[in-house]
Amino acid sequence: MLQFQNTKCECGHQNPTGTVLCESCGKPLVEDLPLDSPLEMRYDGVARRSQKANPDLLDRVWNFFSSVKIAVWLIVITLIGASVGTIFPQEDTFINLDDPAQYYKDTYGTWGYIYQSLGLARTYESWWFVGLLAMIGTSLVICSLDRVLPLYRALSKQQIRKHHAFLTRQQTVYIGQLEQEPAAWTSSFANQLRRKRYRVTAEDTALLAEKNRFSRWGPYINHIGLIIFLLAVLARGIPSWHLDEYVSMDEGQTKQIPNTNYFVKNDKFTVEFYKDEELPPELKGTNRAKLYRTEATLYECTANCNDTTGKDPVLKEVAQHDIEVNSPLSYHGLDLYQYNYEPQARLISVRPMLVDSRTGKSYGPFDLPMNDPPLTYEAGPYTLKLSNVFPDFGLDDQNRPMTKTRDPNNPAFVFIVTGPGLSEDGEMYIYFPLPSGDDKTIQNQINQSLQKAGSNSGRFTFEVGKMENVSFSQYTTFLNVRVDRAMPFIWVGAGISMIGLIMGFYWQHRRIWLRIEDGKLTLGAHTNKNTYGIRAELAAALNKTGVAVEPKALDNRRNTR
Amino acid sequence: MNWLSISSNAFIFAFALYCASFIGYAIAVAGRRWSNRDVEAHTKRWSRIAFALAIIGWLGHLTFFLTRWKGGGHIPTSNMYEFMTFLGMAIMFAFIVVNLIYRNPLVGAFATPLVVIIIAYASVFPSEVQPLIPALNSYWLKIHVTTAASGEAFFAVGFAAALVQLLRVVDFSRKDKLGKREQFWVEAVLFVVIIIVGFLVSVFSFRAGGYSAEFQQEKFSIDQQGNEQSSIQKVTYGLPPIVAPYNSEKLSMTPYLGIDKPLFEAPHWMNGVNAGRKLNTVLWSVISGLILYGLIRLILRKPIAAVLHPYLDGIDPEDLDEISYRAIAIGFPVFTLGALIFAMIWAQIAWSRFWSWDPKEVWALITWLFYSAYLHLRLSRGWLGTRSAWLAVIGFIVVLFTLIGVNLVIAGLHSYAGV
Ligand code: HEM
Repeated sequence: MLQFQNTKCECGHQNPTGTVLCESCGKPLVEDLPLDSPLEMRYDGVARRSQKANPDLLDRVWNFFSSVKIAVWLIVITLIGASVGTIFPQEDTFINLDDPAQYYKDTYGTWGYIYQSLGLARTYESWWFVGLLAMIGTSLVICSLDRVLPLYRALSKQQIRKHHAFLTRQQTVYIGQLEQEPAAWTSSFANQLRRKRYRVTAEDTALLAEKNRFSRWGPYINHIGLIIFLLAVLARGIPSWHLDEYVSMDEGQTKQIPNTNYFVKNDKFTVEFYKDEELPPELKGTNRAKLYRTEATLYECTANCNDTTGKDPVLKEVAQHDIEVNSPLSYHGLDLYQYNYEPQARLISVRPMLVDSRTGKSYGPFDLPMNDPPLTYEAGPYTLKLSNVFPDFGLDDQNRPMTKTRDPNNPAFVFIVTGPGLSEDGEMYIYFPLPSGDDKTIQNQINQSLQKAGSNSGRFTFEVGKMENVSFSQYTTFLNVRVDRAMPFIWVGAGISMIGLIMGFYWQHRRIWLRIEDGKLTLGAHTNKNTYGIRAELAAALNKTGVAVEPKALDNRRNTR
Repeated sequence: MNWLSISSNAFIFAFALYCASFIGYAIAVAGRRWSNRDVEAHTKRWSRIAFALAIIGWLGHLTFFLTRWKGGGHIPTSNMYEFMTFLGMAIMFAFIVVNLIYRNPLVGAFATPLVVIIIAYASVFPSEVQPLIPALNSYWLKIHVTTAASGEAFFAVGFAAALVQLLRVVDFSRKDKLGKREQFWVEAVLFVVIIIVGFLVSVFSFRAGGYSAEFQQEKFSIDQQGNEQSSIQKVTYGLPPIVAPYNSEKLSMTPYLGIDKPLFEAPHWMNGVNAGRKLNTVLWSVISGLILYGLIRLILRKPIAAVLHPYLDGIDPEDLDEISYRAIAIGFPVFTLGALIFAMIWAQIAWSRFWSWDPKEVWALITWLFYSAYLHLRLSRGWLGTRSAWLAVIGFIVVLFTLIGVNLVIAGLHSYAGV
């Protein structure tokens, strides 16, 4: 860091340490560049905090993070780090990975093993990657603070008459003898510039024309947007701001969304495939999904939500939506996405008849849903009470009935039948709605053993009869349930950033200074971008006021190669 | 005549006009040296003709796009063929915008062949309209793809201008180490372009000859439960197999140059999708690129860059520097919006995650970080001119890797349907 001593300019202005161009007249105060090269015009040469003399530790940290050079390094290192993470798939692309080390070794060989053990299979969660992002964030905050105030001060009080050295060392310069009367020429030149929407201020024969100053704030607004974005990304780590669960449901099923008081019901699931004539030759005959949709109802639970004693939760319907890929159900920050589906034939409900084998008469039919079946049913004069349900029937190691899972893979129902001619306690029967042969055998065996035990007389059986009395769910739908309270901030940050980018890139701050002494015109112009544009604009204005000049001839840039 | 056949005719029309426009620009630039007429007038006249051809060609291209949209029922940006032709159209648009600002025939002389190459590359992929899978059926996706490609198109124009700038400033009389190194790398960029041309030449000539070879490959993979699974796939080659897929058997193969079996088998660690075929294609591209480059060198007897260099006299490198920078500066916000913000919105709606570190996404981020480093570096003095031109060239290589390389090398969520 350079040490600056004499900061008092010849025009009498006292500048703070670190000033490059006098704040008042623009005379260069420090020379670190060849004398004939265009001036370094960033922040109009004003001093920044990071240029303090005798920095202490805090200053040094500040200086580190306010340096654009360091920012570029951070960006480049982040970029390289991010690319390393794409060499092999990241661990979280696999849903259940019990032994990642073994998996990477088996699938990707030794390099995969090394990759995984270096932690590169979790690059984007690694301390160093997150650390880099945090450093970029810090740098964004500090560099903006370091520059925005000085720049604001420099731009809000600008002197009109600038030092000769300031003018002749701009990127765009014109020096020449005026043929017209200076005051008259200056005012017609000023008019030309006003037509191009410049704001012109004149002071006898010195002039300052300026436009699009607001575009100078573009980069800072962009950086603020990025800071908000990064903070929002960090905020996603707050546990209560975040939920990510999966729910799988057959048609007709209602399930609780884990870790919430919400329940969701799959009212109907449909999938459409492309017809053969819609497919190109090489895909003909394949099942290519065109659309899949879960018609879902969302319930909020108001009581007994996580009750384990058998009390039913009290549900209140709050939302309904046909969930498709690209069209989630959204309710108060809770989003339900169509994630996947799986062909999985399952019973939804049957309408069996109660058959009296002695008389051959059948009663009913009655509705028997597989999910949440009611406790009593009417079949003719008989009443059936549900005494037990095994959604996924099996036998335990002591040959007792039990249910293997909560999914209705192989449901079995135990009924107690009461009615005319039956004892007070009724008779007990088990019923397997699925029509598989094995099940029917087990059903008969169990019913016979119940008969032996005296629980029934073997008089009744159940029959479904026609197929329309059975309704099947063909698919299981998988929904992904998400809460992400940081999202609004993410979008706000991205939006602000975009506004800043547009301001900074599609408009350019342009300034033109001139002074006339003894009929000699000295003109300098500066823009932070698009020097081509300002030269064309200046040449046009000069030519219209009788000063013939080619745009190219205004170019004062050197040493750019 | 239906929409799709109008569309494919418009495509051929556009392609022909782009080629003509390139020739026009070449005459505009090269004619300065051999024409004995007024140089200024010559350049002006031919750049006008070439620019008019480019615009008419672009209108044809737009017709192709719109009629295919109408005929196919969805916006044609969903497979590699459609995406690359769209990219070509976007680059042409970006070029037209930049040319309206700067009117520099040199940029045209390099941007038009770039478009021609990209469109020819698109034609390597099957051009049938393909049905969409549900996740791709979202208007956010369409907005995302089109805006991202438009941003990339401006980067492409920035690349073209930067390449001209490099050809312009590299000093071919220098014999010192640094000078030699510059000459080498400029030539290397041109060499890569020639390899791509070599790839196109070999694909299209064997396709025109109806070449094909088939293999049956047995693949082993380990599923997530840790069980080994094997599957048998048929692999079809359009180029004569120098390498066969790993662990495969030849089913049929037309002999070429008296060779009737593959020379090698791909190594086992190349186990991505169609790895054997891709390796084979790369080998063919390099071989035909080398032959092509060799022939050009034999004719020219000088490095290509050294031959082009004198034609570029008379133009200020500062102007090229500005054009290249300006194209990138116009493209950067568009790219940010399209490739990052719209992509995040789409991902949020379709996959429930605005960001999932999918390789394609990561590479879009890398591209963005790269160009933001470029922009920051340009704020400091030493990075204008040649260095920044090199960055613009490298940046476009990163763009191409993101668009093509990631699909070829790393298959992720984004691998386009049917490619
Ligand atoms: C990923 C992170 C960043 C992005 C995408 C970004 C983007 C940008 C963009 C687009 C510009 C405008 C460039 C131009 O006008 O040509 C800019 C300017 C700037 N950036 Fe960044 N930036 C990032 C990080 C940083 C950091 C960490 C610093 C900290 C030192 C920084 C310091 C600056 C400065 C000083 C300017 C110039 C402002 C001016 O012209 O007045 N940037 N940045």
